[in-house]
Amino acid sequence: MDVAAVVQALQAAFPDCDVAARAVSIDDTFVTLPVGALRTAIELLHERFDLYHLSTITGIDTGEAVEILYHFWDRRGLTLRIVLPYDALHVASVTDLIPGAAFYEREIIEMLDVMVEGHPDPRPMLLPDDWDEGAPLRKQTEAV
Amino acid sequence: MTRVTIPIGPQHPLLKEPLSFLLTVEGEEVMESVLRLGYVHRGIERLCQERTYVQNIPLIERVCGICSHVHTTTYCQGVEALSGLEVPPRGLYLRALMCEMERIHSHLLWLGVLSKNMGFDTIFMYAWRDREIVLDIMEELSGGRVSHAVNVVGGVRIDLDEEHARSILTRFDVLEQQVERALELIEYEPTLMARTQGVGILSPEQVRRYCVVGPVARASGVDIDLRRDLPRPPYDRLEFKVITHPAGDVWARTLVRVRETRESLHLCRQIIAQLPDGPTSVTAKRRVPEGEVVSRSEAPRGEVIYYIRSDDSDKPARLKIRTPTMTALITLPDQLRGATMADVPVVLSGVDLCIACADR
Repeated sequence: MDVAAVVQALQAAFPDCDVAARAVSIDDTFVTLPVGALRTAIELLHERFDLYHLSTITGIDTGEAVEILYHFWDRRGLTLRIVLPYDALHVASVTDLIPGAAFYEREIIEMLDVMVEGHPDPRPMLLPDDWDEGAPLRKQTEAV
Repeated sequence: MTRVTIPIGPQHPLLKEPLSFLLTVEGEEVMESVLRLGYVHRGIERLCQERTYVQNIPLIERVCGICSHVHTTTYCQGVEALSGLEVPPRGLYLRALMCEMERIHSHLLWLGVLSKNMGFDTIFMYAWRDREIVLDIMEELSGGRVSHAVNVVGGVRIDLDEEHARSILTRFDVLEQQVERALELIEYEPTLMARTQGVGILSPEQVRRYCVVGPVARASGVDIDLRRDLPRPPYDRLEFKVITHPAGDVWARTLVRVRETRESLHLCRQIIAQLPDGPTSVTAKRRVPEGEVVSRSEAPRGEVIYYIRSDDSDKPARLKIRTPTMTALITLPDQLRGATMADVPVVLSGVDLCIACADR
């Protein structure tokens, strides 16, 4: 993957996207996208760059918002980031575009209480059936 | 025909770790399977946020009971990048040596489990006997057979002297002969082939759709290996072949893994021969400057990825772990659909599941 070309294409398609300089890189480039642009961006990666390998999805509660990171890889790393404000914790599912994302999205749902819209099977995956102590990776949930 | 639902697990003689399957069968044929994880979920990601970078190393070592070293390697690699630390070459070589010996031990362990589950106890006995050779070497080097506690942020805490290196090389000769024998069995033994060929097939397209990694992907002809594709010292200076096979069934996975064992032995020899002089580690600071990093390594089961975010304190703000078993689990319903009940143990063993890894 030619990361520079991918970043250029993303910037052309979404002028308000932001290429992060904060990241310390072993190999990854971080691009922050508007929430609504996620699926279009992934389609662009599929069609123009043949980039399919989603390594995983990370969800982070930063204390100010919830960030969702999509880590792609094809000889080089590319991470797409979207930032969800607390009053709108929902994101469109990408499982129909990348079937391998199904488990990672289920983790986001149960660990961060983020609604993944259109997920084919949003049941809890890792937590016990009777878990009621809050989403474990949210700041407000205290560690036991 | 009537459909019957059969629960397998979470406690089941076939499974070495807790995992639950609901198989819907018509006669002998599996129509549908539903998977449930989480029986060994320990909340490691959250626990890591409550501990310091140094305290996290023993915790992360326990993500997996088979490939514990590659997890701490990936973690330390990330923290070192965030802290701007340069690990001395000798440290990197010793890390890689442990990684390759771990791959040998993991692949032989898996070969034993697969053989046992398909009723071929002879290979199981041989594989587990030969695995003891590397386990002994790892124990001599680190003090632990499976949890080695070798990595520290900034390098490794073990060293290797010349006499020990010579003794290790002699034992590698024995192991190499055994691996060749195992390969012969896999390539020519008719019962093994009858049991594994055409079972649990994954096409390259399925590998791509499900983002599968490691030997399972390589056994479907997808040529990926982070040791070559994301070369870091010492792998950029070592010679090895990335083993692939186009068949995509359990037999191909067996062949790929055992051939990889041979390559790993070859790598271990090169590492010992080229081992540079000098210190094995540098001192790390307690606090890690603000930043975020993605760290990847090729574990025995494929790509392990750690995402670490630091906030200029002594504890990570977020640590995400994705183990390769996650990518294999998601393919199981596809692999099991249409299989007969007798093939279920072979399919489940074939992908080399590590449930503790997946649950974290």
